[in-house]
Amino acid sequence: MPQPLRAAFLVLMLALLPAAGEAIYFRQQVSWKQRPKADEVDVRTAQEWQALWLDARPGEDFQREHAPGAMPLNAENWDELLPDVLKAWTPGRKLIVYCSAQSCDASREVARRLREEAGLKDVFVLTGGWEAWKTEHR
Amino acid sequence: MKMKVLLALGLLGSLSDVHASLKWEQSQVELHPAPGDATAVGTFKYTNTGNTVVHFKSVHTSCGCTTAAQTKDQAAPGESGEITATFKVGASTGVQQKSVRVETDDPNEPFTTLVLRAVIPQLMELRPTFIYWESSEAPKPKIIAVKAAKELNTRSLKVTSSNANFATKVQLAGPNEFKIEVTPRDTANPSDASLKIEPDGGGKAFYATARVVNPTRAN
Amino acid sequence: MSLVRGSSWVARVGLAGVFLFAGLIKVGEPARFATDIANYHLLPWSLGVGLAFYLPWLEITSALALFWRKATKGSAILIALSVTVFIVATILARVRGIDLSCGCFGHAGRNLSFAGHLALDFLLLGLALFLLWLPEPATDR
Repeated sequence: MPQPLRAAFLVLMLALLPAAGEAIYFRQQVSWKQRPKADEVDVRTAQEWQALWLDARPGEDFQREHAPGAMPLNAENWDELLPDVLKAWTPGRKLIVYCSAQSCDASREVARRLREEAGLKDVFVLTGGWEAWKTEHR
Repeated sequence: MKMKVLLALGLLGSLSDVHASLKWEQSQVELHPAPGDATAVGTFKYTNTGNTVVHFKSVHTSCGCTTAAQTKDQAAPGESGEITATFKVGASTGVQQKSVRVETDDPNEPFTTLVLRAVIPQLMELRPTFIYWESSEAPKPKIIAVKAAKELNTRSLKVTSSNANFATKVQLAGPNEFKIEVTPRDTANPSDASLKIEPDGGGKAFYATARVVNPTRAN
Repeated sequence: MSLVRGSSWVARVGLAGVFLFAGLIKVGEPARFATDIANYHLLPWSLGVGLAFYLPWLEITSALALFWRKATKGSAILIALSVTVFIVATILARVRGIDLSCGCFGHAGRNLSFAGHLALDFLLLGLALFLLWLPEPATDR
């Protein structure tokens, strides 16, 4: 193999190491199997928005720790929590819902009800949920 | 050579026939809580059909709204038992699916996922539960459509607005269906109201929110 | 000789600057970059995720390797190849009527027009080919 090609190959291999490390580090944030659904948003993008953050986890989890500025909204206390959320929201503001991890469906359910029942439009689900948020802010 | 060793090992394994195995009567339970129930409880029954003791290592639920409990820490050969999963209904609606992950020391099947499906009836459906006027908008009435479940036998609704700025009017829109017309007195200043909606048959109240709000710039 | 050396230096600094920037801005944003790749509708999702992890690091390593004498030509080859791939992907997307921010510079590049983007790509390709064309000792230093 001519020298430049060997060097090129070496560079290709070298790049693989940090890439693999990153892939392991961010394993919770990106699914290799399927593309995030259209209403999912990753932590970085979400933070650029002046969005209203909603925590769909159970109340105890919210009390222990939650994203700064996030409001609790879960199915158990829906009727009590929803009015405060609706009063904090302003037209044009996006809503981002998260639950504990990628696998939980509570955020998806909350987002669905906000859209169908409250008639809100820009409702997003945080990819990777709280776990992804934690990874980002470690 | 390798193949032979593997084969021999396999034979040995099947001859000794020491195995533990939990047989679940069903791995999915569907529940239909009655209107107003606070919890829905599903029971998953198992029997140890193996000839060694199976120990439960952990039982995890997929969501904080579900709790699971096993009555025993282990199952001796031939022994039966059950794991109960309790789903807190709260204000959930529609079909809720929660899973319970059971971990045992059974080498053949260390993990079992049990599924609890709860179909929760909705007594009253409000569409939407939220109406708002931007402060530049004219104070025209907006409608909340209400569908009540047949069981409620609703003939009229009582709507109470927490803020005098929002006037409400109820119209019958069909059998068990109503329209609530909400009109703000003015849309000059921000204000909000909680609308309490009660069926005449009594029971649980439902809530909607009305607001006059200053718009933010879209982001 | 000094002219050759000087121009080699300029070409390497230019290429490395752009590639380092493009790589660094995407590192740590795999989810977003994977979505950008998926928007080209050229690759299956899983492959795109792999690229989203790999490509930024490849850009960074090949940018740095430009300054390693023995690897200058090697990374010039890599850069020329990847820029060619970018050009093809951009044109394909355009031809198929897909509207996208190219994603090459993370979301900093969303204001780059199609023509501006292609012009930059061809400039980079030119620089890489120039480095390959230079006589071997020029890469000394």
